Amino acid sequence: MTAPYLHIRGIRKDYGSVTAVENVDLEIRRGEFMTFLGPSGSGKSTTLYILAGFQDPTAGDILLEGKSLLQTPSHLRQIGMVFQRYTLFPHLTVAENIGFPLKVRRKGRAEIDAKVRDMLRLVRLEGFEDRKPADMSGGQQQRVALARALAYDPPVLLMDEPLSALDKKLREEIQVEIRRIHQETEVTILYVTHDQEEALRLSDRIAVFSKGVIDQVGTGPELYANPATRFVAEFIGDSDFLTCSVLSSDGRTADVRLGSDFVVPGVPVHGGGGGRSAGALLLRPERISLHRHQPAEAGTLPVTVGGLTFLGSNVHVAATTGWGEPVAVRLPFGHGAIEGLSRGDTVWLGFDPRATHVFC
Amino acid sequence: MTQASNTAMLAPPPRRRGWLPAGLGPATPALVLLTLFFVVPVVSLLLRSVLEPSPGLGNYAELLGSSTYLRVFLNTFLVSGLVTTVSLLIGFPVAWTLAIMPGRWARIVFAILLLSMWTNLLARTYAWMVLLQRTGIVNKTLINLGLIDQPLTLVNNLVGVTIGMVYIMLPFVILPLYGVIRRIDPSILQAAALCGATKGQALRRILLPLAAPGMAAGGLMVFVMSLGYFVTPALLGGTNNMMLAELIAQFVQSLVNWGMGSAAAFVLLVATLALYAVQLRLFGTSQMGGR
Ligand SMILES: Nc1ncnc2c1ncn2[C@@H]1O[C@H](COP(=O)(O)OP(=O)(O)O)[C@@H](O)[C@H]1O
Ligand SMILES: [Mg+2]
Repeated sequence: MTAPYLHIRGIRKDYGSVTAVENVDLEIRRGEFMTFLGPSGSGKSTTLYILAGFQDPTAGDILLEGKSLLQTPSHLRQIGMVFQRYTLFPHLTVAENIGFPLKVRRKGRAEIDAKVRDMLRLVRLEGFEDRKPADMSGGQQQRVALARALAYDPPVLLMDEPLSALDKKLREEIQVEIRRIHQETEVTILYVTHDQEEALRLSDRIAVFSKGVIDQVGTGPELYANPATRFVAEFIGDSDFLTCSVLSSDGRTADVRLGSDFVVPGVPVHGGGGGRSAGALLLRPERISLHRHQPAEAGTLPVTVGGLTFLGSNVHVAATTGWGEPVAVRLPFGHGAIEGLSRGDTVWLGFDPRATHVFC
Repeated sequence: MTQASNTAMLAPPPRRRGWLPAGLGPATPALVLLTLFFVVPVVSLLLRSVLEPSPGLGNYAELLGSSTYLRVFLNTFLVSGLVTTVSLLIGFPVAWTLAIMPGRWARIVFAILLLSMWTNLLARTYAWMVLLQRTGIVNKTLINLGLIDQPLTLVNNLVGVTIGMVYIMLPFVILPLYGVIRRIDPSILQAAALCGATKGQALRRILLPLAAPGMAAGGLMVFVMSLGYFVTPALLGGTNNMMLAELIAQFVQSLVNWGMGSAAAFVLLVATLALYAVQLRLFGTSQMGGR
């Protein structure tokens, strides 16, 4: 029997007539870094709060190593958590904050001191023992909160947008720390964020939340290469969507038509039935090739250049199709195809139909 | 003029040039009022206490030297301490409940609190006399429930005074405590729970320390107000637990001894100011009830 380490089974939560989450089903491996990614209000925190025991689910169960957690009150769940807001105890010092979980477990002085020292080393805040939270920066406070959450070696650590109040540079710095700490402690982490870059940087797997349901679960590359829904495609990475009509479909691939006569054959298809219907064709801007002259082989799409934007290592080319839809192409800086390119030029876009997707 | 004072407010405070700090100008009316209604009466009180019936500290010596009067002082502090303690014990859970209650319900409870504060003090105290007397509703209910055989003596003693005064003082602890508790982020208590703290541990180690400034502010206010309380002790208290305010009234009204009355009043004033100083020392002016 290979039961998953942590099993979130069919969770649903209603607040009155509002359903915050439903059908949340996840199997998490021991030591895995799992991220809940989704826009605000999509039910990520609700799911986390049910795991923490602050909310009871309307339906479903939470199993840790096969045993249900629902009857266990929060303070006995042995789960650590770092919150979005700063939740250090303001009247206690850093050392007292980190030692708090051990103190309420009636551990001895020596054991607490040793653990506090270990934890401060882990989050690289040696020497901050006697500071009060109010005298520390937001980033330092969150690192102390992380140390406090890990002080009693919980098997599962929950983090609810812990970095969202920090600026970008600091956020990236602490992301590196979190990765290192995950590797050092091998704790199972459930991490909530609305920032796709953060999710991709940190996670083993990502569960994409949309309107209270999980659209897809997978590694970053899986979600990027094979998005199950248009929402996932839009949320992870950059994307161009062109409206199209589905000419024929066998349920797995479809032939679609862009504009009045540009046909793309054999596109992986998601959702919808067979037959003729409207859809959206997903192109990834960096997987489109740009040609200054019409290539000999068929299957390139003529567009008109609208403008170029320099983005450091990349250059972003905005263009418009013959029927007026915008499409963006991204090329490395210095690429031959964009030398001397200017507004109003006609160029031809090439792409591999098997690397595109159509959502109906 | 307006221009100048605006600039002065924005700029760092100028060094004193004359004998009057620049900022005192707008405070002049307040200073005049304070002199008229506070300094003058207090000084005249002080003068009377050392001049009547004959110059010297005789009144103070008698007041502090007699065991009868000392008993009154002691009783005053005892009752005030008891009222403060009971008010805090009842006020904390009430303030906590109010703080976590849905806003609509909290507003209703506040309305009731304020209404009771606005009701005439005498009326409220007489109401307690009626409720607490031997044939009053409290005794009747307890007898009907079979909890007691004989009616309890609930008025004209310490019990009556404590009940009556706690009732009047409760809003003064509930309001500052409510303010402090409302400012505590609920996630802090969730964090405590996930750290493994039971409800009791979270209360003792987190909630109470964080609410301490509010407890101190409300408690001190109640204590100081109780020290000088007159109506409730006079109506609900007994003859053998007289409080200072009653003693002062007796000196002045029954004995027409202004010297002793003034001396007792001055002692009360000094005790009150001393406590106020303690409070300022501990919590500063700006943070009454805050962090
Ligand atoms: N205590 C609550 N009462 C009512 N509705 C709530 C409550 N908490 C969350 N919700 C609703 O549930 C949905 C999901 O919220 P949440 O889990 O906080 O989303 P996220 O963390 O992804 O931003 C939202 O529509 C929110 O309005
Ligand atoms: Mg949230």
